[in-house]
Amino acid sequence: MRPFFSSQTLILAGCSLFVLYLAGIPLLMLLYGSFRSAPIGEPGAAYTIQNYVKAYFDREFYLLFWNSLKYAIGTCVISFLIGTYLAWISERTNTPLKKLFMVMSLIPFIIPGILSTIAWILLLSPKIGLINIVVKGLLGLESAPFNIYSMGGMVWAEAIHLYPLVFLLMSAAFRNMDTSLEEAALTAGSSTFTTFRRVTLPLMRPAMFGVMLIMFVRGIEAFEVPALVGVPAKISVFTTKIFLAIHQFPSDFGLAGAYAVTLLLISTVGVLIYQRVTRKEDRYATVTGKGYRPRVIDLGPWKYATCASAFVIFFLAVILPVFVLLWSSFIPYYGIPSAELVAKLTLANYKYILNYPLAVTAFQNSFYLSVGSATLVMLLTSVIAWITVKSKLPGRVFLDNMTFIPIAMPGIVLGVSLIWVYLTLPIPIYGTIWVLLLAYITKFMPYGIRAASASMIQINKELEEASLASGGTWFQTFRKVLLPLLMPGFVAGWIYISIISLRELSTSILLYSYNSTVLSIMAFDLWEGGQYTYVCALGVLMVLLLVAMAYTARKLGAKIGIAE
Amino acid sequence: MAEKRQMVQIESLEKYFGEDKERVHVLKGISLSIPEGSLYTFLGPSGCGKTTTLRCVAGLERPEGGKISIDGNAVFASGERVYVPTNKRPIGMVFQSYAIWPHMTVFQNVAYPLTIHRRPKSEIKRRVEDVLKVVGLHGLEDRPAPKLSGGQQQRVAFARALVNEPKVLLLDEPLSNLDAKLRVQMRFEIKALQRRINITTIFVTHDQSEALAISDQIAVMHAGKLIEVGTPHQLYSRPTRKFTATFLGLTNLIEGKVIEMGGDSKPGRIETKKGILSFIPATSLGRNQAAVISIRPEHIPVHKEKPQGLDNVVEGTVKEAIFMGDAYHCQIAVGDMLLAVHTHPFLNMSPGEKVYLYLDPQSCNGIPAEDTEGMDESIMGD
Repeated sequence: MRPFFSSQTLILAGCSLFVLYLAGIPLLMLLYGSFRSAPIGEPGAAYTIQNYVKAYFDREFYLLFWNSLKYAIGTCVISFLIGTYLAWISERTNTPLKKLFMVMSLIPFIIPGILSTIAWILLLSPKIGLINIVVKGLLGLESAPFNIYSMGGMVWAEAIHLYPLVFLLMSAAFRNMDTSLEEAALTAGSSTFTTFRRVTLPLMRPAMFGVMLIMFVRGIEAFEVPALVGVPAKISVFTTKIFLAIHQFPSDFGLAGAYAVTLLLISTVGVLIYQRVTRKEDRYATVTGKGYRPRVIDLGPWKYATCASAFVIFFLAVILPVFVLLWSSFIPYYGIPSAELVAKLTLANYKYILNYPLAVTAFQNSFYLSVGSATLVMLLTSVIAWITVKSKLPGRVFLDNMTFIPIAMPGIVLGVSLIWVYLTLPIPIYGTIWVLLLAYITKFMPYGIRAASASMIQINKELEEASLASGGTWFQTFRKVLLPLLMPGFVAGWIYISIISLRELSTSILLYSYNSTVLSIMAFDLWEGGQYTYVCALGVLMVLLLVAMAYTARKLGAKIGIAE
Repeated sequence: MAEKRQMVQIESLEKYFGEDKERVHVLKGISLSIPEGSLYTFLGPSGCGKTTTLRCVAGLERPEGGKISIDGNAVFASGERVYVPTNKRPIGMVFQSYAIWPHMTVFQNVAYPLTIHRRPKSEIKRRVEDVLKVVGLHGLEDRPAPKLSGGQQQRVAFARALVNEPKVLLLDEPLSNLDAKLRVQMRFEIKALQRRINITTIFVTHDQSEALAISDQIAVMHAGKLIEVGTPHQLYSRPTRKFTATFLGLTNLIEGKVIEMGGDSKPGRIETKKGILSFIPATSLGRNQAAVISIRPEHIPVHKEKPQGLDNVVEGTVKEAIFMGDAYHCQIAVGDMLLAVHTHPFLNMSPGEKVYLYLDPQSCNGIPAEDTEGMDESIMGD
């Protein structure tokens, strides 16, 4: 009989319990802490609903709510329009240079949110914005035409950063459409436009709705743009309010908790609706699996116009921000390009950064956290994927759902909960790099499980059974048969997680300390300190690091095109 | 005949699939016994439970009731809560998809059972090379698995199953994925291999010609139940169940009521719509019992003129005669019955002709008429 403490039981139970701990405890602590009258660990705490009362009855609350909603919806709509337009011309028309589109659409993924925000401030700030200065000069205007410190400016900065995600998702949706359904409409006599209206659109509706939901959730949990642009502009949203509540003196943990729970509720509802919608989508499933090439619409001479428009978008989304970052990193003090400044191009900023003691620490920390969290997440989720996909163990559905909880948790909310967890539990990792590691593992688990599950499903059960029939234990089977065969998904997940962990800010910002600082936090600090040129140099180095990682990853044969 | 040792014993196996409303009873009390060194086939249509039974013996499925023993040791006993996991059973298994690991070479695939038991490298090398010679793949040790043809993959699967000298070899439809010609060729290679190393083998298939060709014994299964067990010859010539008669080869079924039971050498007599026929009882039948005569199309001689001095002669009209090259496949109407008859290709058969059929009592099997459980009542079996 199998011994109770076999390696199989230990590994399976260990991983499951770890996942439950990671996903469940922060949630519980958050709820608990929001109902306490004093910060956790301090005497005199009692159960109370004062935090919520204070939060909801504050007039500011409704302003917050309204701003957050406006911001999220605005981001959702703009990014959706841009992304879907690009996806449509890429997948369904004969616009030339499509391969270039794919590559250029993925570049914004590599640029961390904080850097693109900084770039857009440097472009559209009313006083120092590059675009403003140039346009003002060209058109002889009195005042700057664009102001980033407005709701419109914020929405623009976020949307232009997020549209690549829409592009990926909608491209996939367009690609999976069975065009024979459209062709049937055409043979029945309807025009191209009518076909689009009565066949294509309805078929795409579930996908479109799903994508918009994701973007809405993204908008509501966004942090970088609201923190760097919204705060100076006095436009507050939930995420920045939570941040400020913690960073003010004295910290108002209770209030932060109440707001965090509220934000969590909104994003959870969004995610649940999304899951419900995508499940129903099976009814609209149009994948035939026979490799149909979707019918491509001939645009005639218009195809040059669409191609040009795509390049305009890339120029705005990629070239401009990268340019302004590069430019600012090579000049001694901030200013618009002029002959005088060009003469003063220097490497001083880079020298400063590379000699800045904290910078070395930040690079090391970011690198270790990136590699560490990616590896641990993929190992953990490989085991979990086996449980949920291959085994008949009881409770596997529950475990599957638990691994997805972090998706509904905005980064800042996770940060708040983890503060509480590690101030309460007698595990002395608060303020160290280990709490950041745990936070990253929690946050990126859902991405890992998706990659691992997709790969696990494709492994024929008989390959596993053959190992058992040959005498192998569960662990030998996992190590020698499953893991090697899982490699494509493992590597793809690893690459994705290593890259997004380098960009992470909203969770780290509440959990870091001097010695556990990471690159994105350092950029944030430099910016807040007004060190524009230094932060741009740091930014360029960050992007180079990310590009190097992505390139090496590519070489290892995995594609970054994993849609959410 | 000396009592042969039973290598695998299965008693009253019960298995259900699914939960609640979708619960399906897939094994309904299967009991059988497999002698050492025999090539024992589970034969039946899709869904009859043959693969499930095999997987229960392997330990890949866990039955709800019953007992399974291998070489005298219980590997599963629901009463005593015994359950030996797959990797501890003395078995070797060839899967329908072969399940050759694509990330390993031929050598690594075949060596796996020995590698995980930490045998010394020299021993592994020797044993793998020996077994590769046996299956005819000597020289291909370093070929990566994805570069093998279907037939080669199958041999690798066999080699891997045999390398650790198991007591029982389990074959789950190993020939289904091969093209027809290879299938026929591999059939005999498997039989020759099995005989040479004398390993107890359980072979699962839905192909009755395959089963007839290579088995020492066949267990016919249908809808989760064991229908009949016998040698290929017994099951083909003297089936005792209606399902066996119709599943193995083609047959004609003539219904009637038993008048005389018959016995060892005396034929029985049965009253049918076309008169009284003599028959050989396959199993004991009682007087007045509803029974069915099974007679194979190739066992019915056709006469253009009525033969004299013979019992069991019926008159009929040729409805269809299809030339198949080695025979005529005819449908002959006898009254309101339609009999399938295979005749010599030189015998000219044309529709509308009047002929006489001799139903040799030696070829007439008397089988109990049963509830068919949704079985096809037509005369032509498959």
